[in-house]
Amino acid sequence: MSGLVLATMIGVAFGWTLERAGLGSARKLVGQFYLRDLTVFKVMFSAIVTAMLGAFWLSRLGIIDLGQIYLPETFIGPQLAGGLVFGIGFVVAGLCPGTSCVAAATGRVDGVATVFGMFMGVLATGLFLPRFAAFYASTPRGAFTLPEAFHLPYGTVVLLIALVALGGFTLAERIEGRR
Amino acid sequence: MTRLQVLGAGAFGLAALAAFVGTPVPARPGEIDVNQLAGMIAREEDHVTAIDLAGWIKDRKPGLRVIDVRPVEAFDDFHLPTAESVPLPSISHAAFKTTDTLVLYSDGGAHAAQGWVLLRSLGYRHVYFLRGGLGEWLDDVMNPVIPATAAPDAKEVFKRTVELSLYFGGRPTVGDRPAATPTSQRIEAMKRRGC
Repeated sequence: MSGLVLATMIGVAFGWTLERAGLGSARKLVGQFYLRDLTVFKVMFSAIVTAMLGAFWLSRLGIIDLGQIYLPETFIGPQLAGGLVFGIGFVVAGLCPGTSCVAAATGRVDGVATVFGMFMGVLATGLFLPRFAAFYASTPRGAFTLPEAFHLPYGTVVLLIALVALGGFTLAERIEGRR
Repeated sequence: MTRLQVLGAGAFGLAALAAFVGTPVPARPGEIDVNQLAGMIAREEDHVTAIDLAGWIKDRKPGLRVIDVRPVEAFDDFHLPTAESVPLPSISHAAFKTTDTLVLYSDGGAHAAQGWVLLRSLGYRHVYFLRGGLGEWLDDVMNPVIPATAAPDAKEVFKRTVELSLYFGGRPTVGDRPAATPTSQRIEAMKRRGC
């Protein structure tokens, strides 16, 4: 029960942050595909770097146990296909799952339509899953992490990702500045 | 410096420090200090010889506990004097005192050496294993051999071995070492001898 309460609180905070970052607007989101507005990239990469540094250092200081954090498993083929479908949906709707909920909550009709479509998609996937169950479970790699993939120490990967993010932010600002 | 630059610099600082720290898992007390253990292994402080162990048993070294990590059946069949059976799978439940001197042995040396790592990781400080296992005990304590042509110094050292061997009912020999036979056969041969 306390887990559900905590999940609700985190969800509210997540939605509030997305709305404050302006990500409830489909125009803003689609802007990144035309390199007009890279807010999505900057918000998401800031979140990744913050969470990564937080998880690393909280674990290092013995405050959290990284072993207790669920790592989603990697299925290369199905996730490539899913990523493509997701990307097309993102451009067409101008919203992703989290931002569509935020858009719907702020009364945007396109947000409500996207949330409805998302649940229909989940329902359809559930109904037709047996037909492509073999593909769904193909190319499994288990809980596959970047330090394993690159054979690098965890801390080195943390630094590399932070450098990519900082470089990306600088580049994004320049691209936006030119327009 | 703008607030963004401060945040960026902060993130870079934490990330750079992470690269030096390497792993997000801190070393907790009771866990393995890999460098320390590697040093002990390199300096050969992790094991004892059969002769050393025989001396400790004979001298009733205070706090000595000889631990047989083989399955119970093997222990029931044959075990070292004063040994107690703690099969490897149950080693984490065994109630040892941190002041005890624990000597692990198995048929060869491998399982006892693995048990050594496990007990060290549980925080026991005085842990050793019998390097050559039961085979070494049978060779060096129960059936020690010295060539007739050995140097006088070696013969002097051998006297202590003979004393220990006779204490444990062994058969010291002067001459050639008999051809190697499997440990199990040698245990059978010794049991027929009635020890």
